[in-house]
Amino acid sequence: MVVRDYNDELKYLERIDANSWRIKKGFQPNMNVEGVFYVNSALEKLMFDELRNACRPGMVGGFLPGMKQIANVAALPGIVHRSIGLPDVHSGYGFAIGNMAAFDMNDPLSIVSPGGVGFDINCGVRLLRTNLFEKDVQPVKEQLAQSMFDHIPVGVGSKGIIPMTATNLEEALEMGMDWSLREGYIWAEDKEHCEEYGRMLNADPSKVSMRAKKRGLPQLGTLGAGNHYAEIQVVDEIYDKWAASKMGIEDKGQVCVMIHSGSRGFGHQVATDALVQMEKAMKRDNIETNDRQLACARINSQEGQDYLKAMAAAANFAWVNRSSMTFLSRQAFAKQFHMTPDDLDMHVIYDVSHNIAKVEEHVVDGKQKTLLVHRKGSTRAFPPHHPLIPVDYQLTGQPVLIGGTMGTCSYVLTGTEQGMQQTFGSTCHGAGRALSRAKSRRNLEYTDVLNKLQQQGIAIRVASLKLVMEEAPESYKNVTDVVDTCHAAGISKKCIKLRPIAVIKG
Amino acid sequence: MTSAGDGEALTAPFVVVGGGIAGVSCSEALAVLRPQDDVLLLSASALIKAATNVQPLTKYLVKFEVEEQAAAALTQRCPTVRVVQDAVVALQPGAGGQGVLVTEQGRRVAYGRLCVCSGARPKPVHADHPLVLTVRDTESVRALQTRLAGARRVLVVGNGGIATELVHELRGVEVVWVVRHDHISAAFVDAGAAEFLMPAATQEGAAEKAGQAAVEPVVKRMRFTEARAAEAGGGAGRGAALGPDWHERWELRGGQGGRQLTIEYGCEVQQLLVGDDLWPARAQLTNGKVIGADLVVSATGVTPNVEVFARGNPGLRLDAEDGGILVDEHMRSSVPGVFAAGDACTAGWAHAKHWFQMRLWTQARQMGAYAARCMAADAEAEGELPLQDFCFEMFTHVTRFFGHKVVLLGLHNGQKLPDGDWEMMLRAVKGKEYVKLVLQGGRVQGAVLIGDTDLEETFENLILDQVDVSHLGEDLLNPHVDVEDYFD
Repeated sequence: MVVRDYNDELKYLERIDANSWRIKKGFQPNMNVEGVFYVNSALEKLMFDELRNACRPGMVGGFLPGMKQIANVAALPGIVHRSIGLPDVHSGYGFAIGNMAAFDMNDPLSIVSPGGVGFDINCGVRLLRTNLFEKDVQPVKEQLAQSMFDHIPVGVGSKGIIPMTATNLEEALEMGMDWSLREGYIWAEDKEHCEEYGRMLNADPSKVSMRAKKRGLPQLGTLGAGNHYAEIQVVDEIYDKWAASKMGIEDKGQVCVMIHSGSRGFGHQVATDALVQMEKAMKRDNIETNDRQLACARINSQEGQDYLKAMAAAANFAWVNRSSMTFLSRQAFAKQFHMTPDDLDMHVIYDVSHNIAKVEEHVVDGKQKTLLVHRKGSTRAFPPHHPLIPVDYQLTGQPVLIGGTMGTCSYVLTGTEQGMQQTFGSTCHGAGRALSRAKSRRNLEYTDVLNKLQQQGIAIRVASLKLVMEEAPESYKNVTDVVDTCHAAGISKKCIKLRPIAVIKG
Repeated sequence: MTSAGDGEALTAPFVVVGGGIAGVSCSEALAVLRPQDDVLLLSASALIKAATNVQPLTKYLVKFEVEEQAAAALTQRCPTVRVVQDAVVALQPGAGGQGVLVTEQGRRVAYGRLCVCSGARPKPVHADHPLVLTVRDTESVRALQTRLAGARRVLVVGNGGIATELVHELRGVEVVWVVRHDHISAAFVDAGAAEFLMPAATQEGAAEKAGQAAVEPVVKRMRFTEARAAEAGGGAGRGAALGPDWHERWELRGGQGGRQLTIEYGCEVQQLLVGDDLWPARAQLTNGKVIGADLVVSATGVTPNVEVFARGNPGLRLDAEDGGILVDEHMRSSVPGVFAAGDACTAGWAHAKHWFQMRLWTQARQMGAYAARCMAADAEAEGELPLQDFCFEMFTHVTRFFGHKVVLLGLHNGQKLPDGDWEMMLRAVKGKEYVKLVLQGGRVQGAVLIGDTDLEETFENLILDQVDVSHLGEDLLNPHVDVEDYFD
């Protein structure tokens, strides 16, 4: 990181309009393109406070501020357009979470980076609608929540809700939601309302390590693993009545189910395996980056291709997870209300990915190009008439699901043409947390425990508070600020607001 | 539940021996995996132990309660499981993997596949002494409860989980705690964590005082369905091991008002002396002190309970060091058709870097359920043996000490790491949380998390990933950073 005075850093930052800022070349070394980030006034203050704190004397190492991470990504080989920070951007491993960056597939030097996808590959959100209303569900929400993911044994007989044996895991990794469909856990139309129809075709399970596969199998034969959660939500506000009705949302109070899940441990292992391989590839191919965590490989290299195939398998795995939870949610509602899921109209409104890299066509400086688009903590938001969105949403634009952190409001947005041009059809993914809100942790006290530990003669390092307490910024990025910024900037459009009435942990 | 034997011949494709956590988990899993087959569970005691209210905290870290249930409750849950109250006296393995068990009541039980979950028994300290009580199972705690009435001072020997919880729960009696190490609870936590826990340990009913016990539901969570059934059956040394929070059921109160805790570090009981006018029991410690007490409670570790299976079966390989039945990565013993799980077995496979065996209820449950999967796969004509469950890649355990939630992950005390090759990273807030990481080569190898830290999943992933975190320096534990988001 270039250490400069805060006021000198500011010279590289320029306001574009009320909701966006430009990061000029030179802010970090070797930037190939400029950076951009989206904010409103509250988020703007957080971004600048974070930078100011990082510029204090003695603040070396540790977490880089979001702006620096965006700029470091702008220095990666083959990047086109801009390195984009969405309103919920915050510090992450390599790439900031909430960063979109696209690389030209036809440039032989272009790279793919696991840090640009994230560890929880294809972590995402799925929204199911129902034709129930709050008054129907409030009295029974506890029972519903109880029955939804209550130690569901999987692998009854040869089949399981999620793959149980090495063989059916391989199939699921290759087939994604086609596996869930074949096993009878989802409806054919669910696939229509998923990015990529719930299956990345380039997935290759043979590129996934045995350790990752073992890590992906369920523990002790149950689905519940503390890694998933779902919320029963009610429609709190409708901003775009027409678009909402296309999604089957008619009125306030209508009940939906939001499912949050990803590839978790499996994705972690795929990402870690790739990072190790790529560090070697970087040495071989003389790829230099501003930050060691930005390990990457040329898209066309063996390591790059292997990662993309393994990542696709992890993405398929995440869709199978969300499909399993969809099955369980439908079962639970059907049992509770003595109606079939079909009669309850429990259709998938949409399913979005927050951590993924995909090959897409975009217009760069007036020319159509094939790009590898990394979205980390960022959601695809394609505009109306885009060929890759389902026929039901051709006129509204792609539904974009924004989950708040557990227990806060969630939103449905739609993609816009402006977003397609400015951010390659990308928008925010949820709330952003750079710094913890846990104030109770501020009174660190060590003396007694340190004295005891030092007798063991083992090297000890202690966590310290680098920030001066009274100036510690409150940096939680509220989901409403984040969504309002996307709407105001025009990179996506508000459609529905949802409020949770029950949270179910898997 | 069946009890009278008299030469009865029984047969089942799956037979499980032992009504503790491992045996019950194994039986339950078999019932799910092989709904078409009968499962016969032989339990020496009338009550069985079941893991209930299972809550996964992370993918591999699971919190659960242990409920002591009548055998009927298990059969109600899993109709294919039949429980027979009887003890095994001999194992007669046959050709082709099948074999026969002979029981105390004269039954002959023919099995297709057998899982030995016979647990372990305490290593007693001066067990023959009338004033020494060895705590391990339900029956012994009941005896302790009776004998505490009127007691003025109790000497507790042992430094493991049960001793720790016992010290915390004893009320109205002076407690002298003899620990072999230089800090308390050494089997689980480091000296720093012990120091962190000390204020809670030495306060009289710390949790109660803070008013937390009544509010916090997890503290009071022991439930019993048919509590008195135990009196009917099961002799001494027979019952299944205590599970987590075993003490919730019994109020362990002595004859006096307050409680005073004294800890004797770095010593053991050398010998028990004849009582004097003041104290019926007197213990001479290796540090030279002689301590008088009304009762000596011993909770010092266990030995696998496998002699009846080994007798006459030279083919059954036991571990030379701890005497458990050696099992391979599919929980198979050296005798075809015979599997073993829980305290009775010794993990004989090449252990993953971040895993080691410890005879805990966590591992009993994991092994029991995993053994069932291996047995079920083995029984299928074209069965594909399961990949070893990933829970054996990393040690995990969650418990409560002195009212605090304690999570242990990986090599949390630097186990297996060469001295001088690793370092600790620490964060602590007195009375609230204690976070210790074990780092080697810039990678997280283990963690102790005390209090509600919400860091379990992050460090589970970081230990399994072995991703280099050295660039973050001490910021890894910066209390102002939500590190779980960073690694999303």
